[in-house]
Amino acid sequence: MTDATPSRIGEGYRRADLEKHEVHVAEGIYPPTEEMLTAPIDPELADAQKERLLAVWNDPPGWRYWSAVNNSEVGLWYSLTAFAFMLIAGCLALVMRLQLAIPDNDLISADRFNQFFTMHGSAMMFLFAVPMFEAISILLLPAFLGARDMPFPRLSAYGYWSFLIGGIFVMGSLLFDAGPAGGWFMYPPLTTIDQGVGPDIWLLGLSFIEVASIAAAVELIVGTIKCRPPGMRINLMPLYAWYVLVVGAMILFAFPPLIAGDFLFELQRSFDWPFFDPERGGDPLLWQHLFWIFGHPEVYIIFLPSIAVAAMVVPAAAQRPMVGYNWIVLSAVGTGFLSFGLWVHHMFTTGLPSISLGFFSAASEAVVIPTGVQLFAFVATLLAGRVKMILPMLWIAGALAIFTAGGLTGVMVALAPFDWQAHDSYFVVAHLHYTLFGGMVFPLIGGVYFFYPFIRKQMMSERLGRISFWLTFVGFNICFLPMHLTGLKGMPRRVYTYPGDVGWDTLNMISTVGAFVIAAGIAVFAWDLVRPKGKLMEDRNPWNEGSLMWSHRIPDHYWGVRSIPYVTSRNPLWDQPGIVERMDQGGYYLPDAQEGLRETIITSAIDARPQHVTRVTGPAWCTMWAAFFTGGAFIFPTFHWYPPAVISAVLAVACVIYWLWTSTARIPENPMKDVNLGLRLPTYVSGPSAPGWWGVFITMLGDMTAFASLIFGYFFYWTVHPNFPPPLADHANGAWVALSALCYAAAWGATRVARPINRSGAVVMAQVLLSAGIVLAIAGAAAIMLSVAALDPTSHVYPAILWAIAVWTAVHTIVGIIMQGYCLAGTIFGKVMPEYDAPIWNTVLFWHFLLITALVSTAVVGLVPRMM
Amino acid sequence: MLSAQDLPQPFDRKLAHALPLRPGTDHLKAAPALAAFGFLTACVGPQSALDPAGRDAETLADLFFWLVAGAVVLWVLMNGLMFYAWRAKPRPISPKTGRWLIFGGGIVFPTVVLAGLLSYGLSVIPDQRAPGEGLRVEITGEQWWFRVAYWPEGATEPIHSANEVVFPVGQRSELTLKADQVIHSFWLPSLAGKTDMIPGRVNRMSLEPTEPGEFRGQCAEYCGESHAWMAFTALTLMPEEFDAFLQDLAAPAVPPDTEVGQAGRTAFMAHGCGGCHTIRGTPARGNVGPDLTHVGSRLNLAAGALDVTVPDLAAWITDPKAIKAGAKMPAYDHLDPDEIVAMAVYLEGLK
Amino acid sequence: MAGHMKTDLPAHRNIFRMIAAPTVWAIHFLLVYCTAALWCARDWGSIGALQAVIFGYTAVCLILVGILGWQMWRQWDYFDDNDYIHDQSTDEHRREFLGHAGFMLACLSFVAIIFDTMPAIFAATCQ
Repeated sequence: MTDATPSRIGEGYRRADLEKHEVHVAEGIYPPTEEMLTAPIDPELADAQKERLLAVWNDPPGWRYWSAVNNSEVGLWYSLTAFAFMLIAGCLALVMRLQLAIPDNDLISADRFNQFFTMHGSAMMFLFAVPMFEAISILLLPAFLGARDMPFPRLSAYGYWSFLIGGIFVMGSLLFDAGPAGGWFMYPPLTTIDQGVGPDIWLLGLSFIEVASIAAAVELIVGTIKCRPPGMRINLMPLYAWYVLVVGAMILFAFPPLIAGDFLFELQRSFDWPFFDPERGGDPLLWQHLFWIFGHPEVYIIFLPSIAVAAMVVPAAAQRPMVGYNWIVLSAVGTGFLSFGLWVHHMFTTGLPSISLGFFSAASEAVVIPTGVQLFAFVATLLAGRVKMILPMLWIAGALAIFTAGGLTGVMVALAPFDWQAHDSYFVVAHLHYTLFGGMVFPLIGGVYFFYPFIRKQMMSERLGRISFWLTFVGFNICFLPMHLTGLKGMPRRVYTYPGDVGWDTLNMISTVGAFVIAAGIAVFAWDLVRPKGKLMEDRNPWNEGSLMWSHRIPDHYWGVRSIPYVTSRNPLWDQPGIVERMDQGGYYLPDAQEGLRETIITSAIDARPQHVTRVTGPAWCTMWAAFFTGGAFIFPTFHWYPPAVISAVLAVACVIYWLWTSTARIPENPMKDVNLGLRLPTYVSGPSAPGWWGVFITMLGDMTAFASLIFGYFFYWTVHPNFPPPLADHANGAWVALSALCYAAAWGATRVARPINRSGAVVMAQVLLSAGIVLAIAGAAAIMLSVAALDPTSHVYPAILWAIAVWTAVHTIVGIIMQGYCLAGTIFGKVMPEYDAPIWNTVLFWHFLLITALVSTAVVGLVPRMM
Repeated sequence: MLSAQDLPQPFDRKLAHALPLRPGTDHLKAAPALAAFGFLTACVGPQSALDPAGRDAETLADLFFWLVAGAVVLWVLMNGLMFYAWRAKPRPISPKTGRWLIFGGGIVFPTVVLAGLLSYGLSVIPDQRAPGEGLRVEITGEQWWFRVAYWPEGATEPIHSANEVVFPVGQRSELTLKADQVIHSFWLPSLAGKTDMIPGRVNRMSLEPTEPGEFRGQCAEYCGESHAWMAFTALTLMPEEFDAFLQDLAAPAVPPDTEVGQAGRTAFMAHGCGGCHTIRGTPARGNVGPDLTHVGSRLNLAAGALDVTVPDLAAWITDPKAIKAGAKMPAYDHLDPDEIVAMAVYLEGLK
Repeated sequence: MAGHMKTDLPAHRNIFRMIAAPTVWAIHFLLVYCTAALWCARDWGSIGALQAVIFGYTAVCLILVGILGWQMWRQWDYFDDNDYIHDQSTDEHRREFLGHAGFMLACLSFVAIIFDTMPAIFAATCQ
C-alpha cells in the first residue's frame, strides 16, 4: 500500500505547514484514503509489531519501577500524592474547626492555629489544586489525544519528584512546629520581620514547586498543540484539551509574577534588601500586587480544569455532543483573559483611589459573562439530551449547584463597596469555599468516578459513591452556608478564637459539625478509591463516551494506543465506526517500534497534519537526581547554608545536561521512517516544528513574564514614591552599562549567525562563533554586575532593585552560556551536525529572549533613572 | 495573699450586658420583604454589618439584601432548570434552542443585569469616601492594639486614647489610618466597611453614625500571633454628649483617692511602667504602649481581651502573654501580688 | 453544506487572530489602570481631563475590537451556509470555527471594554 503516488502529500500540504529550513519533510499519502483504512491487516505482522511495541513501552521491572517516566505512571503517582496532601490539609482544617467550635477555646495555641491556617491554604492551593490539575492532565491528556505519551516524559517525572520533595519539606515543617504562620498570602512586613524560618520554608519550598508547575504547564501546552492525532484539527479537539491549553497558558503568565515576588522577598529576608520596607523606600503593597496577579488567575487555573472534567461528563450523561462547543471555547479563552484583570479585588481595602478600584470591580463583573456561558452550555446540553444520572453526573450536578452559589456571592464581593464589609470576614471564607469546592473538589471527585474505569480498568462502587456524595454535599452546606452570616455578623478570618458574646458561637458550632460530615464523605470516597476491587471490567467504554480515551484495551498496555488513529470527528468513538477495532489491529499510524525506541507522532498546531516522528525519552534515574539536587538548591538557603546550595545547583545542572545529552534530539539511524498508511515522516526536526523548540519558546514566555514583573516593581516604586530614584542617589556606572549592552548584542549576534553557518556546513566557523558568543556573554554579565557594584543594596530600595535586575540578567546569562557550550560540545562530539541542529535552534531562541532581557535591563539600570 | 491563680477568670466580657439589642433598625423596613422576617433576629449583634447604625453601613446592608434576593432567584432558576432536565426528563430541546438559551442566559441577561449593578455599585464608592465634616480621628494599628488620637476641628494637639473610639452621631467623621510595624485593618461593621492600615502609607476613610450605641470593631487583616485579640469598642454619642466626652478625655488623670490606689501609683512609677505608658498629669510619659490616662473609664482592656476590672488588670500585669500570646508587654510576675493588685486598683480608678 | 469553495489563507489558520480582540481588552485595561494610578499619585490634573483620556482610549480600542470582530465575522462567514457547528475535519470548518470563536471573543471584549470604562463615569475620583 506504500506504492501510491508520493506526490499526493505535496498537494495535501501547504507552504505554511512546511518550514523552509527543513531538510527532510513528510512524504507519501495524507490524508489516508478510504481503501487504506479498510485494507486487511496481516495478523502475523501485527503480532510481531505488537511484541516489539510492548517491549519498548513496558515499565521497568522490580525496584526500577520508580525510574518509570510513562505518563500513566507519573500521572498516577502525581495525583495520589496531591490527594494525600489534600487529606493532610483537610485534617488541619478539622483541627481548626474544632478549635473554633466554641468561644475562648484553647485546644491549640494561637501560633499553632496560625501555622495550620497558613498551611491549609498553601497546601490546598500549591500542593493540591494546581498539581492535581497537572497530574490528571498528564494522566489523561495523551489518551484524549490518542498519543503514546506526553512529549517530554522525563520532564513530567522531574516535575513529580520536585513536587514530592518540595511538598514534604513544606508540609513537614509543621511537625517541627516551625511551619510558616504568615498566611498563604505571606504579606510583608509581618513576614519580613519574622525571625523564624517559616517564611523561608514557604518562599523557597513553594518556589521550587512553582517551577515544577511551570514545567508541567509547558509540557501540557506542547502536548496539546503538537501531539494530537492526525486529522484532529483545532476545531475537533476534546473540550478537555481546550481547557488544558488555556490553563497552561494562564499558568505561564500567572506563576512568574509570584516567582519574581518570591525572588525579591527572599533577597530581603536573606540579604536585607529593602523591597518591602517603607523606611528605606520600599512598599509592602508591591508584594500584594505581585501575589494577587498570580493569586486571582490561580483561582481560575483551579476552576477551569475541573469544568473541563465536567465538560467531558455532561455529554456522557446527556448522551449527545456538547451543545455550543464554540461557546465553551469562547468562554474558556475569555475567562483566561479576563481573569488577569481582577487581582486588585483582593486589595479593595488597601486604600487605592476609587477609580482604580472601579476598573477591577468592572472586570470582576465582566468575567461572570463567560462563566455564565459555560454553565448555560451545560444546562442546554442536558436539556437537549436524555439525561442518565450516572454517578459522576451526580457529583457534577452537586458541583454546579454549589458553584453557582459561590459565583453569585462572587458578584456581590466584586462590588468594591460591599467588599469593604465582606473582605477578610467569614463571608469570604464561605464564598471561596463555595467556588473552590463547587468549582474544584466536586468536579474532581466526579471526574475520579468517571475516569477511574479508564485508569484502573475497574469500576468504583455506585453505592459508596452516592453515600459519599450526599455526606459531602450536605456536610458542605451545613459547614459553609452559615459562614456567610458569621462573616456579616463581623467575624474576621484567621482568628484563632473569639469571644462568646458577639453572637458567633452557635453559627461556628454548626460549621464545625458540618466540617466533620464533609470529612465523613471524603473518607468514604477515599476508602472507595483504595479498597481492592476484584475483577477487571469487561466493557472498555462503560459510560459510552465518544472520546478516544475509551479506546484503550483491557487490561491496559503501557503503549497508550496500539496505533495512532486518523480522526475526523469530535467524538470518534461515536462517529467513526470500527475505529477501535482498527486501532487495536494496528491499522493506523505508527503500529510498530522496529528501532526499539519510544515514539509518537508530532502534528501541526492548527490542522494536525503529521510532521514528524519524535523519539520520546524512556525510564531514567537522572531525572530523579536532578529533582533531588534542585531541591537542595532551594532547601539549603532556607537555613542560610549557601555552599551546599551552590553545590546542589551545580549538580542539578549537571544531571539535566546529562539527561538532555543522552536522550534528547538523538541523531537518528535513518532520516525518514515509514509510519504506515503510505506516509513517511522525518525522525529528526529542528526549529519550530520540533516540540523541544516549542518547549523553550513557551518556557521563555513565562520567564519574560517574571522579568516583566521585576520591571513592573521598578516602575511601581517610581509611581508611588515622588522621590524614586532619590534625588542625590548614586546611579549605576553608565560606561559599564553601555559596555554590557554592547557585549550582549554581540553575543546574540554571534550565536544567531552560528546557526545558518553550521547548517551550511562550515562547522569550524560555527564553533568559532559560539566560542566568541560565550566570551562576549561572560563579558556582558560581568559588565552589568560591575555597573552596580559600587551601590549598597541594603541602603535603599533604589540600589536594591538595580541589583536585583542585574542579578536576574546575570543568572540568565549563565543559562545562555551553558546552552552555547552545549551546542559547541555538540558540534565537537557529533551530537550536532549541519543537518541535525535542533540544540542550536533552541539556543538561538533562548538568546532572542536573553537579548530582550539584557537590553531592557541595561536601559532601566543605566538610562531610565537619569531621565526620571 | 492574692496570687494570680486566685483571681477570677479574666475571660468574662461585659459587652453582652453593656449591649441591649438595639431596636433601631428602621431602614430595614425599606429592604426587600424577603429579608424582613426571621432573618432579622439572626442579623443583630454588636459587630454586625446587617444591623447597621451608620449611613454607610446602612447603604451596604440594603445593597446586600437586594443582592441576596436576586441571587436566590437566579440560583433557583439555574438549578431548577438542571433539576427539571434530570428529573422530569422532558422531550429534548433542539440544539438550536439550546444555543439561544446559552445566548440569552449566558450573554444577554448577565450583560444587562451586571451593567446596572455595576453602575450602582460604582456610584456608591465616592459617597462612602466623602470627606469628614469636623472631627478627625487618627488611628494607628499596633501589634495588637489600636492607638487613637482625636483631632477636633481646629485642634493643634491631639487627645490620646486607645482601643476605644467615640464618634458624634449625625456628623461625618474623618479617619486617618496608619500602622506601626505590620499591616492591620480597621473594621467597624455596624458603622462602615473596613480600610487597611499599612506601614509607610496613610489611608483614610469616613463614617457617619446615625444613632447612639455601643459597638465592637476588630482588626480584619491578619497581623500575627494575637490577631484574634485586636478589637476595640466604638461608642456613638449625641453631639453634646460627645463634646463633654472629649473634654473629659482631654483632662489629665485624676489622682488616686485611696491608700491602695496611691500605693499602686507609687509602684507603677517605681517599676518603670511610665517608660512605655503615658498617664497625663504624672511623670509617666512613655509612648510605646497605650495611653492609660483614662483607662479606668474604658470599656475594654488589652484590645478586647479583658475587661477593665481590678482582677483583669492584675492578671494582665502579672503575665500579659498568658492572656494574649506574643504580647509585647513584659510580665511582672516577679512582683509581689499585693503590689500588682495595688497597681490594678490605681489603674481602674483612672476614670 | 459546503458553500462555494473559498481559498484558505494562512491568516485563516492563525489562532492569534482569534485572541487579538481580548488582547486589545488587556491593553485597554492596562492603559486605563496605569494612567489612573499615575494621575492620582502624581496629581497630573483635573479628573475631567483623566476622564477624557480614558474615553479616548476606549474609543480607539472599541474601534479596534470592532474591526477585528468584523474580520472574524467575515471569516466565520455565517450567511454563506448558515452553519454554526463546524465539527468536521476540513479547512472550511476549521476556518469558520476560528472565525466564530474569534467573533464571539470580540463581542465579549467589546462588552468588557465598556464595563472597564464605567468607573470613569460613576466613580471618577482619586479619593
